[in-house]
Amino acid sequence: MLTLNHFLVLGAILFCIGLYGAISKHNAIAVLMGIEIMLNAVNITMVGFSFFNQVKPFSTYLTGQIFAIFIITVAAAEAAVALAMIIAIYRKRDTVDVSEIDMMKY
Amino acid sequence: MDLATLIFWIIAVVLVGAALMVVSLRNIVHSALALVVVFAMAAGIYILLNAEFIAIVQILIYAGAVTILILFALMLTRIGGRVRTNPTNRLWWVAVIICALVGACIIYAATFSSRAIANVGNAAGQLPAGINNVVRIGQLLYSPTTYSYVLPFEIASLVLLVAIVGAIVIGRED
Amino acid sequence: MALYQYSWLILFAPLCAFFVIVFGTRMWDIFSRPRAGAASVHGDASTAHASDAHGATGEGHGEGPVQDQEYDDDPTVPSLTMGARVSGYLAILIMGLACIYSWVIFANTLVTPIPANINPIFTYSWGVPGFDIAFHLDNLTVVMMVVVTTVSLLVQFYSQGYMGNSAGYARFFAYLSLFAFSMLVITFAQNFLVMFIGWELVGLSSYLLIGFWINKRAKPEELRPSPASAALQAMVTTRIGDVGFIIGIMILFASTGTFDFTQLASRVQGMDKAVLAIAMILVFCGAIGKSAQFPLHVWLPPAMEGPTPVSALIHAATMVAAGVYMVARTFPLFLAADPAAFAVVAWIGAFTALFAASIALAQSDFKRVLAYSTISQLGYMFVGLGVAGPTLGPGPGMFHLFTHAFFKALLFLGAGSVLYALHHATHKEVQDMRLMGGLGPKMPITAITWLIATLSISGFPFFAGFYSKDSIIELTLTEAHNWPLYIITLFTAGLTAFYMLRAFILAFGGKGGKVFGLWGGTYRGVGNPKESPWTMTVPLILLAIPSLLAGYWLNFYTYLSPKAPGINLADVFTSPFTLVGVIVAFIGLGWAYFLYGNVELAKLNAIVQGNAFLRTVHRILYHRYYIEEFYDLLIRYVVLGLSHLEQAFDAYVVDGIVNGIASLITTFGRDVRRVETGRVQAYMVAFFGGVAVLAVIVIALVTFVRG
Repeated sequence: MLTLNHFLVLGAILFCIGLYGAISKHNAIAVLMGIEIMLNAVNITMVGFSFFNQVKPFSTYLTGQIFAIFIITVAAAEAAVALAMIIAIYRKRDTVDVSEIDMMKY
Repeated sequence: MDLATLIFWIIAVVLVGAALMVVSLRNIVHSALALVVVFAMAAGIYILLNAEFIAIVQILIYAGAVTILILFALMLTRIGGRVRTNPTNRLWWVAVIICALVGACIIYAATFSSRAIANVGNAAGQLPAGINNVVRIGQLLYSPTTYSYVLPFEIASLVLLVAIVGAIVIGRED
Repeated sequence: MALYQYSWLILFAPLCAFFVIVFGTRMWDIFSRPRAGAASVHGDASTAHASDAHGATGEGHGEGPVQDQEYDDDPTVPSLTMGARVSGYLAILIMGLACIYSWVIFANTLVTPIPANINPIFTYSWGVPGFDIAFHLDNLTVVMMVVVTTVSLLVQFYSQGYMGNSAGYARFFAYLSLFAFSMLVITFAQNFLVMFIGWELVGLSSYLLIGFWINKRAKPEELRPSPASAALQAMVTTRIGDVGFIIGIMILFASTGTFDFTQLASRVQGMDKAVLAIAMILVFCGAIGKSAQFPLHVWLPPAMEGPTPVSALIHAATMVAAGVYMVARTFPLFLAADPAAFAVVAWIGAFTALFAASIALAQSDFKRVLAYSTISQLGYMFVGLGVAGPTLGPGPGMFHLFTHAFFKALLFLGAGSVLYALHHATHKEVQDMRLMGGLGPKMPITAITWLIATLSISGFPFFAGFYSKDSIIELTLTEAHNWPLYIITLFTAGLTAFYMLRAFILAFGGKGGKVFGLWGGTYRGVGNPKESPWTMTVPLILLAIPSLLAGYWLNFYTYLSPKAPGINLADVFTSPFTLVGVIVAFIGLGWAYFLYGNVELAKLNAIVQGNAFLRTVHRILYHRYYIEEFYDLLIRYVVLGLSHLEQAFDAYVVDGIVNGIASLITTFGRDVRRVETGRVQAYMVAFFGGVAVLAVIVIALVTFVRG
């Protein structure tokens, strides 16, 4: 029997995997991939809440899915801009290694 | 175990495995391909949850556009020729500890703590007859009723516009 | 009575003289001096000296002006300007008026006693109750006042001749007037505060006067410091005693709540005797410093570097007697305390008397013998105060102060006369007795008055010192029943007689003179000394009179404390103690007479140096028991060592803490700076690390802290 907890745990695990990728990878695009995994985890959680909704008026019960749509939208926009930035940085410094981009260093 | 649960477990295992491959493979193109699997499996989860529209949107946008964007970026940043294209930080174990802690807290808070919410329910049975998921989402997004998401929709389109212009400007070669 | 009520004018007159001289006549003097260059002025003075040639002055004078011009020991002007002379006359006139007034008051008190209700005769309050400036007048004040004004007047008169053509003539008289004022402040003080103000003022005046010859050098070969360092030594050493003084005053104030002497006398009756004794011993410490008792006696011999009139006034008659006066003034407080307080006073006095007398035996500097003699006699005064007891009151000690002031001033002024004559004969400063001798016939007035004073201090019958000193020696046995004190004071009397006559014979007599070597003899120096001018000999004669007759004021004790019996001449001359005292004095005088009158000085020196024991004793006494060397070591290693320790503490610990904190913060900052790596992933690690920690905490709180 599927319960909400299944999806919440799945979302949590995915979020943490994505977080690990975002924190510890050197390649900027790998960091972006980690962020995408995190966003997907959140989406799964949102849609899970929408499915197991107990609130009676059906007008509100699809909120989770609407939220998921907008997350997908913004994630796509953000991926586009981020990749444009990565390419611009690559052109300037000939590297996409985030540990070499430390101009704000002391 | 009924069919839904079995399918959930299969999809979940593949999903988590693919995610682990994304963050640990040495070749970044392999990571990108594993990411496609992640997106696909996420769509599978949505279908399990009666969110067909979201599943299709996920395939279209994530597995389609975003993946292509990532591959293009990989191509343009000249990863070819190097052996180790996806290095990991020296202090990766710190990240493992942090992520494990965060994960454990979230899981504990969501499932075992006394404030977790109720566990069962089936919203699909709440939809009236004749209205499926796509129709309902369309009603919520576009129709100017008292309870609708028209405004966020318009703003989201503005965000997309700004993103397009921004990406073009940033990625310009000058 | 109006006469008594306006006696505070005596106090302020010298102060007015001081201000008038400093701001008026001295300015006149300085501005009216000729503007010729210094070299030519001194050239004229030295040629003037050379022109009154005294035989073989060539060698003594040849290098004189060239040497002396750089560090002029006593800068001179060719002749005194009107301004300087007027300064002198003004000071003497004021002091003369004060002296006459004080003698008039004195005569009046013998007829009509001072009423008690005129006190305080002058007050000034500045708003804080109990801290007023108040002066009062009673018999003790009158005695001291007479002594101070008389000796001051005679010394100022004498300075006209002694200071000659000195460039600092007006300054000298200004300082003398300031000193007179300060001493009178102590004399008239009604409470400890005013007395302390006067105490410090006399310290200041003493400093100014000892260091009068600013540019004079030290003479290490004669063990003589420069006047500037001697003045500083005097100031600092008396200050050390003042520490105890202040603590004693504070203890008294804390216990009784007042500084006033009359109120204290009544309020201390209820105090704990031991605490009061401690307070009074601390107060006595001030007297130890000011009156140069052991161990703070070291400043008085170097103070002889000042001009001789200064030594006569300050270090013989008045300032050093301030300590005695203070103990006499606080006599009721000493009485109310534990008898240990009086015992301390008496024993320190007796020990100092013996100690100083033994040192004086071996000194060869004319003024040093007199300095140690002063210390010794002050010891006698303290013994007199310590053994007197309640009936006799401060009488015996003050009586010796009274007579001592006169004959000691006479001794010093006579010494000054001798030094003046020798300076004019040899054009150098000669103070060594080994270069004198046979001066009797050449300076008859000086010699005769000196002899009178010598006999007086030795306790020769019928002279003034006989009455005062022998009564003290007698009292140690009859009142205090203290055999050791008696033996000490008696032995010291013999020593006093010996060294005083030794000094006299070495200076004025010698082998081959008349009266078996007492008068005349061989002159061991150079030049031809002559008698000093009348401005110097008249005060000598005037002082010789009280040196003879002051002892005949038989009701002195009764004058000071009404219940005391007076001196009964019949008792004095029939008592066995008097006989013993006279015999001891004669032994001392006779021994000195025989030794120095009949044996040549060179032969005596050979005998002493030949015998190992005598040589060692002589060396110890000549170097003053090496106490000054000991103090020097003490200060250099203990005091300066402690200060080096503290300086190190301050530099390393205190500054170390401050600098250490600063460097700690700097290091901390430098290390914390490295958190800013500029890499976003590091920031994310920190961010999510914080999130993880917060999540754990929140869950723990929510789970385990059930509301």
